[in-house]
Amino acid sequence: MDQVIQVKDLRKDFKSHSSRPGLKGAFRDLFNRNYSIISAVKDISFEVKQGEMVGYIGENGAGKSTSIKMLTGILTPTDGTVTVNGMNPHKEREKFVSSIGVVFGQRSQLWWDIAVQESFKLLKKVYNVSDEDYEAHMTHVIDSLDIGPLLDKPVRKLSLGQRMRCELAAALLHNPPLLFLDEPTIGLDVLVKLKIRNFLKEINEKYKTTILLTTHDLTDIEALCERVIMLDEGQIIYDGKLANLRSNWGEGKQIEFQFAEEVTKDELSPLMKELDAEWTASERKNVWVANVVNEEHVISEVIGRVVAAHRITDVKIHEISTEEIIRNIYEEGVVDGKIY
Amino acid sequence: MKHAAIFFHYVSQYMKTRLTYRVDMLMEIMSDLLFQAVNLVFILVVFGHTQFLSGWSRDEIIFIYGFFLVPFAIFGAFFNIWDFNERYIVKGEMDRILTRPVHSLFQIILERMELESLFGMITGIAVMVYAGMRLDLSISWYDPFIFILMVIGGAFVYAGIFVMLASISFWSDSRTSIIPMMYNIGNYGRYPVDIYNKVIRFILTWILPFAFVGVYPSAYFLGREDWYVYAFLTPVVGFGFFFLSIFIWNVGVTKYRGAGN
Ligand SMILES: Nc1ncnc2c1ncn2[C@@H]1O[C@H](COP(=O)(O)OP(=O)(O)OP(=O)(O)O)[C@@H](O)[C@H]1O
Ligand SMILES: [Mg+2]
Repeated sequence: MDQVIQVKDLRKDFKSHSSRPGLKGAFRDLFNRNYSIISAVKDISFEVKQGEMVGYIGENGAGKSTSIKMLTGILTPTDGTVTVNGMNPHKEREKFVSSIGVVFGQRSQLWWDIAVQESFKLLKKVYNVSDEDYEAHMTHVIDSLDIGPLLDKPVRKLSLGQRMRCELAAALLHNPPLLFLDEPTIGLDVLVKLKIRNFLKEINEKYKTTILLTTHDLTDIEALCERVIMLDEGQIIYDGKLANLRSNWGEGKQIEFQFAEEVTKDELSPLMKELDAEWTASERKNVWVANVVNEEHVISEVIGRVVAAHRITDVKIHEISTEEIIRNIYEEGVVDGKIY
Repeated sequence: MKHAAIFFHYVSQYMKTRLTYRVDMLMEIMSDLLFQAVNLVFILVVFGHTQFLSGWSRDEIIFIYGFFLVPFAIFGAFFNIWDFNERYIVKGEMDRILTRPVHSLFQIILERMELESLFGMITGIAVMVYAGMRLDLSISWYDPFIFILMVIGGAFVYAGIFVMLASISFWSDSRTSIIPMMYNIGNYGRYPVDIYNKVIRFILTWILPFAFVGVYPSAYFLGREDWYVYAFLTPVVGFGFFFLSIFIWNVGVTKYRGAGN
């Protein structure tokens, strides 16, 4: 299958100048400035096939936006090679950008003062989209994103969620086969998020649009992406199926017991003898959580023993959420390419 | 072709925005014209006291000033990107520009254009006509074409210099006060350069060639044959500087660092 994105040993260093304090310092800075080099992206390699939806995740400052900016031709890499849609993004920028769509959640792509519709018309000229193509494609986009009523309002009068839907429509105006989304759902309410997710799924199915998206909301990733690439301090620490991430590091369930009377850890611990399980106290009164492996007999055994020994008012079974898995990975980091 | 279509689309969008956002377009135009009229009176009063300036008569100096206003108006309408650093580099707006399939400088020119500035051409031409009549200048059929060529050359000199200055922001995003200084230096091009010493003359001709915006091209229309070589260098220097500035801009774009969010 076609590789839409090929990245090899991609690196981006930023020189960051620091100024010395005081007048004397300023004077010395004139001749010889202090600087340090920050490597935002450190020799990463990956490939993305046509039609994939890839979640690009990592903590703040991990280097996600920097990578996306190199993939879209905004920044020139310090080292390494990038081939996207068969082109070198920063070498043939103008030709290249016609083949991609970009949304930066933090920044508007539309003109602030003019009506959304006028922005679309300008972009239509800029991307050289014919009237027929525009009609055929955009009528549908406008419909699915439900932005028809917003078209004659200036962008600065739109709410964040309204604006974001318009941004997405603008990025798709030329129906690009590849879409980069940097935090497209930041600050949006659940309904708008759902609308956007459904829309992305739909265009992915309909046009086989490849989508690379970053987000801090893992439910976005769960809803959309089979594959995740996880970045930490500029390096890829995981690249694979979201499902594998779950089964490798998300094994286990949490059983939450609400006891009728006060219990102590000393009373509870003997119950877990020979079982692969552990107790943690919850913040709520008389609530304890048993962390157990995800095996039927262990779960039944724990519940059986607890119920036999104590009076309880409530039991809940939780799966460990992706968010927790990822938080654990972020917190505990990686050693030798393995996640602990 | 595509660029022309985009250009006209932007212009019509610009007009539309001005029409909706300005309460009274007519008042706006009137005040622009009034501003130019005051400017005109001011020029005549200021130059009224000058008699001769190393071999240039008062009317010749007024003529040069009038000519200068025309390319300067074009520059002001399209290339006045003095806030490029703050707007596009520090705020990171350049990201957006760079994701669109049109040359980045062209997009910025279209976004920042101020068509009102073109009214200055009327003042400039009025000043030239006034001075020209007093000097009894004769015009041949090809002079208007040469005029257009000279004006474009002069506008490109200004544009080239300011595009180069804007390009500095790609390397260093700290604020500089170069731009206001450059407006001042630009003013020296309005006067006959032979009133300055050699060093300044050399600078205004070859380094910051502001002399090609005023005195050199005007020398042609004033029939100052000793300056004709410089006069006809105007379009050459203009195009040369402008292309050099685009080259520097293009290199600068590859150095763009973006703003961290
Ligand atoms: N223009 C710049 N100049 C200097 N350093 C920068 C620049 N842009 C980013 N950085 C640095 O590079 C690193 C990666 O930043 P980047 O914006 O790619 O992170 P991110 O993963 O997108 O984070 P977030 O989730 O907060 O958006 C950070 O340490 C940041 O400070
Ligand atoms: Mg980011």
